[in-house]
Amino acid sequence: MRQLKFSQALNEALHQEMERDEDVFVLGQDVGKMGGDFGVTKGLWKKYGEKRVIDTPLSEAAMLGLSNGAAFTGLRPVVEIMFADFITECFDQIVNNSAKAHYMFAGQLTAPIVLRTANGGGFRAAYHHSQNPEAWLMNIPGITVVAPSTPYEAKGLLTASIRSENPIVFFEHKMLYSTSGEVPEENYELPLGKAKVKKEGTDVTVIASMKMCEYALKAAKELEKEEISLEVIDPRTLVPFDKETIFDSVAKTNRLVVAYEAPKTGGYGAEIAGLVNDEMFEFLKAPVKRVASLDSPVAFSPKLEDHILPGYEEVLNGIKEVIDY
Amino acid sequence: MGLNVDKLKQMYYHMNLIRRFEEKVDEHSKKGDIPGFIHLSIGQEACQTGVMHVLTENDYKFPDHRSHGICLLSGSSKEKVMAEIFAKKTGLCEGKGGSMHIADVEVGNMGNNAIEGSITATSLGTAYASKYRDEDNVTAVFIGDGTCGRGELHESMNMAANLKVPLIYILVNNGYAISTRAEEAHSFPEHLSDRAAGYDMPSEVVDGNDVKKVYNAMERAVNRARNGEGPSMIELLTYRWQGHFSGDPASYRPGNEVEKWKEEKCPIKNLRSKLENKGVQAGTLDKLEEDALKEVEEMVEFALNSPEPDLEDATKYIYAEKYESMKEGE
Ligand SMILES: Cc1ncc(C[n+]2csc(CCOP(=O)(O)OP(=O)(O)O)c2C)c(N)n1
Ligand SMILES: [Mg+2]
Repeated sequence: MRQLKFSQALNEALHQEMERDEDVFVLGQDVGKMGGDFGVTKGLWKKYGEKRVIDTPLSEAAMLGLSNGAAFTGLRPVVEIMFADFITECFDQIVNNSAKAHYMFAGQLTAPIVLRTANGGGFRAAYHHSQNPEAWLMNIPGITVVAPSTPYEAKGLLTASIRSENPIVFFEHKMLYSTSGEVPEENYELPLGKAKVKKEGTDVTVIASMKMCEYALKAAKELEKEEISLEVIDPRTLVPFDKETIFDSVAKTNRLVVAYEAPKTGGYGAEIAGLVNDEMFEFLKAPVKRVASLDSPVAFSPKLEDHILPGYEEVLNGIKEVIDY
Repeated sequence: MGLNVDKLKQMYYHMNLIRRFEEKVDEHSKKGDIPGFIHLSIGQEACQTGVMHVLTENDYKFPDHRSHGICLLSGSSKEKVMAEIFAKKTGLCEGKGGSMHIADVEVGNMGNNAIEGSITATSLGTAYASKYRDEDNVTAVFIGDGTCGRGELHESMNMAANLKVPLIYILVNNGYAISTRAEEAHSFPEHLSDRAAGYDMPSEVVDGNDVKKVYNAMERAVNRARNGEGPSMIELLTYRWQGHFSGDPASYRPGNEVEKWKEEKCPIKNLRSKLENKGVQAGTLDKLEEDALKEVEEMVEFALNSPEPDLEDATKYIYAEKYESMKEGE
C-alpha cells in the first residue's frame, strides 16, 4: 500500500473532510498561505479560500472562542494550536465552554470542535515547545483526548474527530510528523474511545501512546529473544478510556507497565494505575509500573532533556523491573 | 422601526416586568428557595429592554451574569426562565443551569456564563457563522465595566474588527465591578469604550437609563452589522441599585449615591413621565404595572410547584455522543 508521512496523512484527512462537508473550516496561526508550521494544512487555503482557512493573530483564547461559537451553530471548526504548550492560553474556552456547554444547557448546544496541537520533546525546543499536557485535559469531563501513533491512525482518528459531536483535543507528537506508514487513499474513520492491541502477548501488558508506542514495540522485539512476550496496547483515545481492552489484557498477563512522556506525578499512567488498582487488584502479580518523565520542566540542554524524558532504555528497564518483581 | 407610543408602552411593560421579576427573585433567594449567587439588574432595565427590542429571535444573544431581563425578553417561556433560576427540572436547562447559565437556543439565547468575558470570545464564533453562511443575523454580547479588563475581550475585539463580523459589544457600565470603580482599576481616555477606536471599531456612549436612547444606539449598531460594516461597541451608562449579589450590603458605596440615582434617574419613572407627556393615561400605565406583577407571580407559582431534577440527571449530557467503549451512565 501507499506510504505517507504522519503529517501528510493528517493533511489528507483535512482535505477529504473539507471536500465532504462545507461546514468544516480551519483556523490557526499561519495555517493558510504557509500551510501550517508542520505542513499539516498545506494546500487548503489555495483550494478553499480564506473563509474556510483563517490565518489568525496570536489570540488563542479568541481562536477557541470563535471555534466554540461557530460549533454552537453547527459548523465544524478545526483549530490548530501551533504547540501544545499554548493550550494554557485556550484553557478558559476549553474548560468552561467546550466541555460544559452541552451539559449545563441540558443538551441544547454541542461544541464539535477539534483542537489539533503538536506536543512532545525531542526537538531541543525546551520549556515552552516540548510539553506533554495531556493529563491537564484529562480532568475535564466532556473533553475527548485523542493521541495517534501512526500515519494510518492519524488520518482515521482525525476524520472521526472532525465528525464527532464532542469537543476533541487531538495531540500530534512532533517527533512523529516525519515518520511514514501505510495509509489508504479513501477516507475512513477509526473508532474513538477504543484502544488498539498493537502486538499480542502473554507476559506483560505495556500501555504506550504516541512516541512511546514505538519504544514499546521495539522492547517487545528485543525481549522476544529472551522468550518474554509483551502485549502492547495503544490507547489511541486517552479520555474516555477503553477500560475493557486494558482489563482483558491485564487479566491475561497479570503485569502492567504504562509508558508516557509527561511528568510522572498526576500523569496519564497514574490514572491507569489507579483504575487497575481499583478494579483489577487480585489479578496483579506485580505493582503497576509507570515509566514517565522526571517531575521536571523539559530542559534546554540536549543532555538534560534526554535525561528528563523517558526513552527506549527506560521503557525496556521498566518492563524488566516488572518481570523481575 | 421608529418608536411609536405603542412600542414605548410595550417597553414600559417589559421594564416593569424585569423589575418585578428581580424583586421576586431577590425575595425567594433570601428565603432560601433559590440556590446559589443571584445578580440583580434593578436600575438597569432600560439597557436590557432597549437592546432586546432591536434584536429578533434569529439574532444570537450572549447575556452575562446580570441578565435575567435578556432571558425574559428573548422570546422564551418566561415561567421556564424562573423555574431554571429555582433549579427546577421544568426550567429551560432542566435545572442544570441556574441564574448564571441559562440558554434557550430556539430563540437565539446562546447562554450566559459565569466566567466574566468568556462569552466575548465565544460570540465571535456565532458572528463568524453568520458571515460564513451569508446570513443577516447579528450577535450581541453583554459585558460589564469590570469585565473590560479581560484579555478575551481584547482578543475578540481585535479579531472581530479584522474579520468584520456582525457582532455588537454591549458594555453595561453600572459604575462598579463588585466594589471596584472602573477608574480605580483600569486605564482609559475618557470612556472605557474609547478603547474600541484602537481596534478601528465604532463606539458610542449612551445614557443607559433612557430606553429610547439605548434603542436608537443599538439600532445604529445593528444596522451597521447587518450591512456588513462589522462590529461596534455601545457603552450604556447606568447604575445597579442593589449590591453585587442578592444579599450584598454594598457598604463600599458613598453616602447618598444610590438615592440620587433612584430619585433622579430611575429608568422606569423616566419613561413613565415621557408617556404621560404624550397623553397616555396614568390608569393605563398603572394597569401595565399590575399586569407585570401578575405575570411574575404566575412564574413564581410555576417554579415553586415544579419538581427538582432526578439523580440520574447528574451524568446526563456530559458527552453529546457516546462512544462504543462507554458503559451506561458514564
Ligand atoms: C474571569 C472572572 N473573574 C472574576 C469573576 C468574579 N466576578 C463575578 S462578577 C465580577 C464583577 C463584574 O463586574 P462588571 O463586569 O462591571 O459587571 P457587573 O457585576 O457590574 O454587572 C467579578 C469580579 C468571574 N466570575 N470571572
Ligand atoms: Mg459593573
